Amino acid sequence: MDIAPAEELASVAMESIPDTSFAENFCVSFLRQAQNSDGGWGFRPDATSRAEPTCWALKALIAVGAAEHSDAEAILRGLNFLTAGQLPDGSWPATPEEKNGCWVTSLACWVLASSGDGKYSKAIGDGLRWVCDDWPRDSSPWRRWLRKLSSSGRHSKQNDALRGWGWTPGTSSWVEPTAFALLALESQPAIALPGNAEERRKLGEALLYDRMCPGGGWNCGNPEVYGVAGEPLVIPTTWALLALRRHPERSENIESLAWMEKNFAHIKGPGSYALARICLSGYGCKRNEDGPGAGDYHAKNESLQSVEAAAWTSLAARDTNKWLPGASVKR
Amino acid sequence: MTNVRNQALIPSFQRPTSRVLIRRAASYEQELGTLIYESLVEFVLPVKGKVVLLKPNLVGLDPLGVMNTHPAVIAATRESFLRLGASQVLIGDGPAMDRDTEAILESVRLREFAGPLARTFVDLNVDDVERVPLPTRASRLKELYFPKTVLGADLVVSMPKLKTHHWAGVTLSLKNMFGVVPGSCYGWPKNVLHWAGIDNAILDINAAVKPDFAIVDGIVGMEGNGPIQGTPKACGALIFGDDPVAVDATCCRVMGLMPERIKYLAAAGTMLGHLKADKIQQVGETVASLKSNFAVVAEFARLRQAA
Repeated sequence: MDIAPAEELASVAMESIPDTSFAENFCVSFLRQAQNSDGGWGFRPDATSRAEPTCWALKALIAVGAAEHSDAEAILRGLNFLTAGQLPDGSWPATPEEKNGCWVTSLACWVLASSGDGKYSKAIGDGLRWVCDDWPRDSSPWRRWLRKLSSSGRHSKQNDALRGWGWTPGTSSWVEPTAFALLALESQPAIALPGNAEERRKLGEALLYDRMCPGGGWNCGNPEVYGVAGEPLVIPTTWALLALRRHPERSENIESLAWMEKNFAHIKGPGSYALARICLSGYGCKRNEDGPGAGDYHAKNESLQSVEAAAWTSLAARDTNKWLPGASVKR
Repeated sequence: MTNVRNQALIPSFQRPTSRVLIRRAASYEQELGTLIYESLVEFVLPVKGKVVLLKPNLVGLDPLGVMNTHPAVIAATRESFLRLGASQVLIGDGPAMDRDTEAILESVRLREFAGPLARTFVDLNVDDVERVPLPTRASRLKELYFPKTVLGADLVVSMPKLKTHHWAGVTLSLKNMFGVVPGSCYGWPKNVLHWAGIDNAILDINAAVKPDFAIVDGIVGMEGNGPIQGTPKACGALIFGDDPVAVDATCCRVMGLMPERIKYLAAAGTMLGHLKADKIQQVGETVASLKSNFAVVAEFARLRQAA
């Protein structure tokens, strides 16, 4: 399959296309066409279906809205692919042949919750139980003691008592998987959550604040190494800020949002551009409409073959408060 | 696509002497195509009709062009392999810290040098993957997923930048192969490799993927707190070889560091290639003529060669 190649996009005057039209005319139709016969999506058209791109494509198509009945069957096939990939312990693996779950579990729970269909409540419950029982390995007392003795412990400033989530079980806490776990927990009513969810949520939020870069924003989770401040990045900053939306008044949120607004004009990729828009919109910020739009980024970067970038662009064109969990934030 | 990289490992003591070529290159502005083409010709590589994968070191957003393999070197290498008769020359990497690979490509201006990338560049972080049992047990990892593009390439060329590294000592052609481990399976960063031990994971990955050739961008390297926050260091060298261990050992000597004291390189010297200078046939410029002492973080002061 070769959908909307860069040359075709480049031939269209993208600067004249508003982001919402671009999302609808190019990204959503791209996602519809990129679905595999097994109901899932790969990271690119014709790639093997995997849980993560399937989650993003579903999230985008579900957000298109109930009025688009034409997507109902595609969404159902996608949800069936997703639930069929759940492991017996409730988790989701990164790739179908893998037998161990990972961070994608949070994303899958969040997406199943967005479907609004009660038949997925058991799958979500099992998934969130796995998430809440998955403790990172770096923050155990033994590991913290070892780290104090190691050179890495001496050269990075972080509170090792805080515990978030790792990308894979048995590793360290990082910003993005922690943010996704928090969003997954936020997507369910408190009564449906595992008993330790509140404790995990508080620890996870504290970890995110601890790992913020000096001056605001987040990178993968290294705010400072060898006394040098880490550089924030758009994608982890977006997810961290969205996961912390219940604290819009905190100075760290305000500082990080200011970093995002300041750096918006310097964004290089379509995925980062879409997520930055989602982030700013999630905090009720008005975006300066000058400068390149989604279509320019996609054409310039030849990346409309990316299911993730197309899904994020599509989501950026929607009202974030309709698809993000938690209360809306007004500025 | 099948895994064409599962040939048996040849222990170093059974390997013939390795050859490493050092070429002087003062700047990225000079004409690199001929220099790189002529250097490759010296190695008589079996590339005619083959698929070549160039694996540069694309670490992150790099507007100043100091942390990533320079696009001029990548583009000139691609042209050279096509000129040598390769049927396809792909460029692929899976950046470890930032999942927006498109943004990194844009920041390093790779398109300006290499042309449209839609059918040339592969984001190894999100490529289709295949589970590969590791032929070595240096770490506790028994298997890893690798991108099918890497496993299916006839020739894998590791193209790092000449840099020091705050956890591993140096990051050269062997450490550069961390970038073939897919982020979509292991995250950003690929933290499972850190838990397995960086030194041991480097050995296991290289034993599984077996890069066939190395070209190190040492025109401007990085010293100190590398691989991201170090200081640019002009060295004026491009270093070539079909034994990545020998290439890395030679790079260390050019950097004024002792390869035998770098844990993973010392181990690689027993199983993946040659580390000792007497097993490396040095051609082109001499190490001494381009030697430039690279600063290292305090933990790696022991790597420095005696004055």
